[in-house]
Amino acid sequence: MLILSRKVGESIVIDGRIQVKIMRLDGEVVKIGIEAPASVPVHRQEVYEEIQRNNQKAVMKEGSPLPKLAGPPKKPS
Amino acid sequence: MTSAESTLSQPASTTAPNVVRLPLGLLGFEQIKEYALLADPAEKPFAWLRVTNDKSLAFVVIDPFVVMPEYKPNIPPADAEFLGIKEASDALLLGIVTIHKDHHATMNLKGPVVINRHSHIGKQVIIANAAEYSVEHLLPIAEAVA
Repeated sequence: MLILSRKVGESIVIDGRIQVKIMRLDGEVVKIGIEAPASVPVHRQEVYEEIQRNNQKAVMKEGSPLPKLAGPPKKPS
Repeated sequence: MTSAESTLSQPASTTAPNVVRLPLGLLGFEQIKEYALLADPAEKPFAWLRVTNDKSLAFVVIDPFVVMPEYKPNIPPADAEFLGIKEASDALLLGIVTIHKDHHATMNLKGPVVINRHSHIGKQVIIANAAEYSVEHLLPIAEAVA
């Protein structure tokens, strides 16, 4: 892993198009500003891990009994 | 025919194309790239996304809009481009359902599986507004599983 030291207000540039800037230090919290093209998805790592864990929990054997939903399900338009 | 299957096959053909390719897999299941989308009318509005070559590995899915018409997932442009989706009507969304041990059921609204209705290529997309939704959105259950 490449490790760089940066001061508040300083940035790094990735691939010439993604700018990561240290905005503010607040105790143990670092505020980071990210400027990237719309084509580059940026997410907190936790959300990936949360979805991964959810997928693992959701695995079932086909044909397992399913619950019935309450109310008449509406047809999607 | 469930809503998932019927919407997948609309409007072009009457044969329900039920193989979905996920070139990137599902998160945590990246190596599995081909699923069958199976729908039993008796299980409506649920459907199954089952690994084509492994019957023991399946996910229950649901069209999230059936339960939550106000759901407004924001699909990142990179994902729409990857899937070849130009307008909302090109996309079929499936929420992965978890049936919990105490029989309550939830669906994942942060990371829906988005499928191009025409090419049947899909991806589990982390929506740009994931912070507004839960991975365990409670489904209204009338009758628990036996």
